Amino acid sequence: MNERILVVDDEESLRLSLKFKLKSAGFDVDTAVDGEEALEKLKAKPADVVLLDINMPRMSGIEALTIIRQTYPQTEAIMLTGFADFSTAIECLKIGAKDYLVKPVDTTELVTRLRSLVRSRSTELALQEVHQEYLGFLSEELMGPLKEIQTMLDQASKLAGDAEKERKKILKGAREIAAKLEEKLELVAEISRRATDVGTPGSEDISPTQLTEKLREIRKGSAH
Amino acid sequence: MSSTEKKPVIRYLYNFKFQDGTEKKFEVVLDESTLELVREDLNPKPEWTKLKYSQCENCPLPDSAEHCPVAVSLAGLVDAFSDAVSYEAAEVTVETSLRTYFKKTTLQKGLSGIIGIYMSTSNCPVMSKLRPMTRFHLPFANSLETFFRSISSYLTAQVLLMRQGQQPDWDLKGLQEIYKEVNIVNKGMADRLHQATQKDANINAVVILHSFGDGITYFIESGLTDLEPMFEVFLKKNGSSDSASSQKPS
Repeated sequence: MNERILVVDDEESLRLSLKFKLKSAGFDVDTAVDGEEALEKLKAKPADVVLLDINMPRMSGIEALTIIRQTYPQTEAIMLTGFADFSTAIECLKIGAKDYLVKPVDTTELVTRLRSLVRSRSTELALQEVHQEYLGFLSEELMGPLKEIQTMLDQASKLAGDAEKERKKILKGAREIAAKLEEKLELVAEISRRATDVGTPGSEDISPTQLTEKLREIRKGSAH
Repeated sequence: MSSTEKKPVIRYLYNFKFQDGTEKKFEVVLDESTLELVREDLNPKPEWTKLKYSQCENCPLPDSAEHCPVAVSLAGLVDAFSDAVSYEAAEVTVETSLRTYFKKTTLQKGLSGIIGIYMSTSNCPVMSKLRPMTRFHLPFANSLETFFRSISSYLTAQVLLMRQGQQPDWDLKGLQEIYKEVNIVNKGMADRLHQATQKDANINAVVILHSFGDGITYFIESGLTDLEPMFEVFLKKNGSSDSASSQKPS
């Protein structure tokens, strides 16, 4: 699916020329005449990046940026302005804009920046996903079985001296859980090594998305 | 016509009326036959109008030219709106000898029209290619109307070229080249205006012109065919629209 860009500017010719250019560069483009319409459009359909004019009637670009960053944290923003002003640029970046461009914008440069922003954004999202999956692995796949082994060992230690058969059964169960755990940890250690080796000669590259998939497979017990 | 006789002129009287009741008037006078801007010599000329101040990358003027003709033409207007905000509401009236145009619009939109006339009639060798369009100036035009006027004007020039026995350009490649150069001037002028103004009205008016220049290439490449239904009566005459588009005049 193409990345979705929302162009927000009160001037029709600017919206149109940016729409033409960005569409021909392969983006899915929508437009809004001001900040209020931008928020309505985002509510109806989220965007990957918002190109936001600063000086607009009704709701300024900075007001819209503040709301967008709070409400749609996964939507990135690039600010556009006719009048370059250092303090406004700093303010926008502090609020969370990724870039600040002075009009007239070089549309070829804009496309390059958008592509780079979209790329780093998807890498960031993929890393967040790996992080979540890894936390899930730690809590469910590691802590869970460890607690189970601990409980079993407690049970075994509390058994009466003549319950050897029962003790052996519990210890066998604990060993089986430990073996499965070791197997999963070996798989995680292996993909962690591959992820760390990325870029080194002879190593096989593994993307964050592939890492997430591997972790999921390990959790499901289908990884080899 | 004797030298004492006044040359016929075209006048565009722009009147900006703001919500606080204030008004600003600007009259653009063009020589009717050459469409050259008729202006009184501005003295003293602001520093930012000097040719070398922020000279456009593609400026063909010789070093002997002390001032940028476009900047000099714009100086009065720019000064009047140097602290104005682009989206300020204005009632803009444009009077010509033939009719009067009126629109409640933004200052930047009103200004872009008058700045467009100044830029193309001020004897800048790059901008002069757009001069014929000023004869058919359409205040408050939207993108489609401007693209259409621009293409019509260029195609008229090609017909005239053909009649002179020269090779016309029906593919509009030359028009795209013109706008590439024009947009370098628009960018250069926006850079100058950053130095000459405190707020964004003037700059954004030039930005609007720049966006027309950016948009026309894409319009020619992909938007023009959207107009086919309007031209059905012509296209049918030659059969299907596909065959019509392949039968370019040669």
